[in-house]
Amino acid sequence: MFKWLSKYFATPSQLRKAGILGMNRRNFKFIAKYNKRNLYPLVDDKVQTKELAQKFGITTPRLIGTIEYQHEAKNLKDMVKDGESFVIKPAHGSGGKGVLVIKSHDENTFTTPSGRVLSYKEVYQHISNTLSGLYSLGGQYDTAVIEEMVNFSHIFDNYSYQGIPDVRIIIYRGYPVMAMTRLATAASGGRANLHQGAVGVGLDIKSGKTLKAVMRNQPITHHPDTNADLTQIEVPFWTEHLLIAAKAYEMTGLGYLGADIVLDADKGPMMLELNARPGLAVQIANGIGLSKVLKKVDKYYPKRLSPEERVAYVLTH
Amino acid sequence: MLERLKSFVTIRFVLTLCLIASCLFAGYKIYYKVKYWGFSFAPHERTDIWTIEADVNFTANGEPIKISLAKPQSSNEYKILDEDIVAPGYKTKIDKDRVILSTAAREGEQNVYYRILLFDNQDAKGKTAAPAPQAPEKPIYSEQEKAIAEEILSLASKQSGDLPQQLIRLFNQVPPEPTVTAFLPMKKTTKNVAENISKLLAYKGIASRMARGIKLEEEKTAFSPDLMLEAYLNGRWKLYDLTTGKIGLPKDFIIIQRGGTSLLDIAGGEDSSIKFSVLKSVTNTFNLAGKRAKLSNEQQAYDHSIYNLPVNQQSAIKWLMVFPLAILVIAVVRNFVGLKTMGTFTPMLIAMALVKTGLGAGLLCFVIIMGLGLLIRALFSKLNLLLVPRISAVVVCVILIIQYMTEISYRFDSDIGTAASFFPIIIMAWVIERASITWEEEGAFNACREIIYSLIAALATYVIICNETIRYIMFAFNELNIVLLFLIMMLGTYTGYRLTELKRFRPLVK
Repeated sequence: MFKWLSKYFATPSQLRKAGILGMNRRNFKFIAKYNKRNLYPLVDDKVQTKELAQKFGITTPRLIGTIEYQHEAKNLKDMVKDGESFVIKPAHGSGGKGVLVIKSHDENTFTTPSGRVLSYKEVYQHISNTLSGLYSLGGQYDTAVIEEMVNFSHIFDNYSYQGIPDVRIIIYRGYPVMAMTRLATAASGGRANLHQGAVGVGLDIKSGKTLKAVMRNQPITHHPDTNADLTQIEVPFWTEHLLIAAKAYEMTGLGYLGADIVLDADKGPMMLELNARPGLAVQIANGIGLSKVLKKVDKYYPKRLSPEERVAYVLTH
Repeated sequence: MLERLKSFVTIRFVLTLCLIASCLFAGYKIYYKVKYWGFSFAPHERTDIWTIEADVNFTANGEPIKISLAKPQSSNEYKILDEDIVAPGYKTKIDKDRVILSTAAREGEQNVYYRILLFDNQDAKGKTAAPAPQAPEKPIYSEQEKAIAEEILSLASKQSGDLPQQLIRLFNQVPPEPTVTAFLPMKKTTKNVAENISKLLAYKGIASRMARGIKLEEEKTAFSPDLMLEAYLNGRWKLYDLTTGKIGLPKDFIIIQRGGTSLLDIAGGEDSSIKFSVLKSVTNTFNLAGKRAKLSNEQQAYDHSIYNLPVNQQSAIKWLMVFPLAILVIAVVRNFVGLKTMGTFTPMLIAMALVKTGLGAGLLCFVIIMGLGLLIRALFSKLNLLLVPRISAVVVCVILIIQYMTEISYRFDSDIGTAASFFPIIIMAWVIERASITWEEEGAFNACREIIYSLIAALATYVIICNETIRYIMFAFNELNIVLLFLIMMLGTYTGYRLTELKRFRPLVK
């Protein structure tokens, strides 16, 4: 009986020994303590995040325009007439909900990267759903953000079943502490959520190289659909990734933060969005507990350094 | 120094202090309510009230009249709620165990009534110790009587039970022993049996006394009190039934007079008789509490409590008082167990509906509404409606489903349909909406899992709030809600792992 239990469940003391951060502890000791409530809008509203990022010299996908009211939706065609591809996002969305990527379009049809063809009416519908708050955090009225599609670097092409993987970096008190990338699979339905069956690849915070790859809690070496070798991933421009992450601290003032960063073929690493309540799956992807690392930062890492100095510190310690 | 003090006074520390303080406060209030208001821990909604009426009848003989009537005292089993005397022109005085009436000289037939209201003191605990009686005086028997007494005692020893029981059984033997017949007067009455047994007990050095009491039965009129015998054995008074020899106070029995004093003494009157009648009535325990509060001089506190409100308001508050417990369950399910439910308090609202509908009918109803609702919502999603009109349409559909369920079930004489109308319509519509979005975005498996987790949370809440005793306790001792408040706040500082995390992070442990 006990053996059977211990096969499926860990004891609290085992988790503590492994330095695993639990949801309650994350909320009470880190989010409530280091993330001031009044700063949340800076990251929850993508328009504000973008403006702020610009001020701090962080590249983000170019903003094409915003749609705030239903009647503005008809302006969409005008807004996007110059470019081929664009993305519609809810300003207050999270976890990729309500993100519509359009690869190409003509007068009446819109094509997504997977080849699905949408009519103008369907896109209009999507915007209207976004405005009425279907994808926003609290279900309140929202703004649709239209931005330029990232010209994804082809380095990751083989690693994901659909979509382009981004790099998630956890930043604690300004120090990038843990990183991972999430790769969609057929099993996850093209989504990048680990609990739905996406692959989580833990990345070494000093080098951006694969630490470990996990799918459905099991270690794997190759992507189940593309068969790409997951042990050899090395994210290029890693220092630049870390610098964006470190700057996000000065930019928002949030002490416990998640940054989603993508690699653009021309412009290098770009910040997609920030998250004031980053999930704990990064621990599973890395096979390491967060508590240990956070404790180390509290105890030994010097305070009051510039972002560049912090990145240098992380790279050398 | 200040720094050290500051690190000591953490939120958790303050909350612990508050929790302890609220426990003490609730403990005191519970003690107070039990002691002065007579609240109990079991949900006795109703309490029996017995009205005993003594009708004293006599012919006045022209001298000043003084009537002394034995009356029941508050005992462990019964408490006196109210007593009154109907005796026009008499001066009345109520002592601890007697009622004294007096008036100037009168003539003719007299009738006085004494009425007492008693209620079941169901929550009484412990018994008051009676002082030990003095050793009884030995009866003076002639040589011959002494011989017979000895013989009776030896005959009695063949009977079962203790000595008083043996004697009672011997005296009631059919056919009677010749020795017993010889010992008793010609006419055998309960009274002279009692007197003789008492004498024999005194002969053996056992103190005894007579007790008169009334068996409380509904609608009992014009009867005399029953006679019983009490003997002091092994340091306590024991009550014996004079015909069966059974020990102890019979059920629903109240002693109105004890010992040597008479039931009724009348000076200035003749041909007196006393007849009792008993009437049973039922009252709400909380109504009674007011009277009890008055008896213990705690009236004012009671007047300002929720129990003094009109019944309608009381039942509304009674329903409210169980919410904090349900909320605690939800907080535990989410923060300690770690189940993801649809909406924070949706499971609680479902549980409340289940309490009103009954479990089986409620669950069936929930499944039907959810099933049909999801089906309709799936059709709607093809129409690409805007959010607010779409959710509104789902609300209307839920209302229609409930309407048809009620109609159909009425036709088939089942109560499932009526159960449907208790479900919170708007909440159901949102649950359908959310489930259908989860369905579209994360698949049927995740949607069903979320619904099932919500139902588990609802059932956990249901189990607690459907319990009549728990609901009663949360109402009668509503201070417990303050304790719950701090418990919930303490849970807000819980930083340990959730149960689901023990499974989630299992792979990280070698």
